[in-house]
Amino acid sequence: MIQADRTVRRQDPQPARKSGDEDGPQKPDITKPKSSNELMRRMKNVDPDQAKKYRQRSGQ
Amino acid sequence: MIRMLSGIETEYGLAIDGRGAEDQIEDAAALVRGFPDKRCFVGWDYFQESPRTDLRGFKKKKLSIDPVDAKFDSGRRPLASEEVRSDRILVNGARFYNDHGHPEYATPECWSLHELMLADKAGELVTVGVASAYEAQSGRRTRIYKNNLDGAGSSYGTHDSCLVPREVGFERLYQALTPLLATRWVLCGSGSVSPEDGRFLMSQRAGVFEDKASVDTLYRRPLFNTRDEPHADRSRWARLHVIAVDANLIGEATMRRVGLMRLAVRLAMADEAPEWELKDPCRAGQMVSSSVDQDINVDLKGRKTASAHQILESYLARAEEHLELSEEERWVIDSCRHLLEIRFSEFSEFARGVDWAAKLQILREFQEEEGIEWTHPMIASLNLAYHLIDDEEGLFPALVSLGRIEGEPDPSDVLSRIERPGELTRASARAAAVQRLSSDLLSASWGRVVLRSPSGPLSIELPPDIAYDERLFSVESTEEFADIVQECTR
Repeated sequence: MIQADRTVRRQDPQPARKSGDEDGPQKPDITKPKSSNELMRRMKNVDPDQAKKYRQRSGQ
Repeated sequence: MIRMLSGIETEYGLAIDGRGAEDQIEDAAALVRGFPDKRCFVGWDYFQESPRTDLRGFKKKKLSIDPVDAKFDSGRRPLASEEVRSDRILVNGARFYNDHGHPEYATPECWSLHELMLADKAGELVTVGVASAYEAQSGRRTRIYKNNLDGAGSSYGTHDSCLVPREVGFERLYQALTPLLATRWVLCGSGSVSPEDGRFLMSQRAGVFEDKASVDTLYRRPLFNTRDEPHADRSRWARLHVIAVDANLIGEATMRRVGLMRLAVRLAMADEAPEWELKDPCRAGQMVSSSVDQDINVDLKGRKTASAHQILESYLARAEEHLELSEEERWVIDSCRHLLEIRFSEFSEFARGVDWAAKLQILREFQEEEGIEWTHPMIASLNLAYHLIDDEEGLFPALVSLGRIEGEPDPSDVLSRIERPGELTRASARAAAVQRLSSDLLSASWGRVVLRSPSGPLSIELPPDIAYDERLFSVESTEEFADIVQECTR
């Protein structure tokens, strides 16, 4: 099995459905709202030299 | 409904701490050979590969190679081609291998755009999963980027393929596709910071095309690639191999990109493609790519001009007028038209469906927040980080979590495509052979599988234009497999 843990968005575990709960949502809401601070935090964590260090061979 | 068999090949960027471009072929081969799912099959069959054969009816003696890359290899022991490629055929029918130092994921062939998008997204997970295994084994941080350009101008490809009846021919395909390939960066570019002067460009790839049409892909690349490698009966089929492509992170952008290509192919088949004659198609593509803030006019032959939006809209209008449209094609037309209409008036909304715009928006936000100049090295590094396939550090997953990207698929739908292709194309037969008959499977490729049978190796052709049978996923023997494929071809 492929180890895909790093890239799959973290999900809350699916809640067990109880009898008589058929009117509830069909799927859990897996997209937790995050503040835009999360994006800014990631951006600030980027190594400023990453692009300079990133050197690739030409492909097709 | 016309079924058009299509696929996407993505050469991923590979960055391993402490290693450089000179090590990349060796590293990518080691990474691919460490594929952690041991159900994959090793034994790709190269019999249908002919990268020097040109759609115009000749064969080039030698493909051009990048002189900078040639320097990396001087003094190194040349490895056998198959050793370098290290091909794996996966349980979903995809091909995973090392292409010139890039881990490459070639999706299972698909009919629907939605399935192709899911297959492409599954490739992201597979590739980063293999990188995680390599990182654990090597102890070196290994990053995977879904992009097409480094900061020094080296480019590597994402290619879209589409099987086309051979009688359509080069001339009609070239005329129909070229104006689209030069202008669709507006909708399908994934954005870059120019390695030359730091300007923001819509496309990663538009700047690498130097020739209108040729069979080359590594150096002096053409806007229209003429490689004639159908991976199917050559007398009936040609494969359009489009290299003027940016890898998209936004799933719906991938669907629009391939959808536009397929509309142009259908218009070519109907002899109803728009008749734009660009004076210099490569230059036109570069002009479009660099015109982030305006709808640029490109030069046509005869001292006329047309804007990128005009050209793109002409494909949408022609398709509406002359083609019987599927639901997906209708969606492609409506969503492309909507994006063109709101590009300047509602940029934030436009950015929900277009990678270059989503990227440009966050680069501008960061610039404003931090008060830095556009020339600051962070801008180029953030440009790169947009493409990092990593749920914890990548910028694109953060945008998705914030609800700033339109229509991303459910992760469980993507995960399921790692285990099986979503449609019964010929990829399902290949997948079934890998899953059910691995001990008898001798080789496989796009167009055939060779299986051990009591009477010796049995070569089973996989025609590209038929629907295969679900029962292939429960076969117990070569004979049963062969019988079901035979039934499908009737």
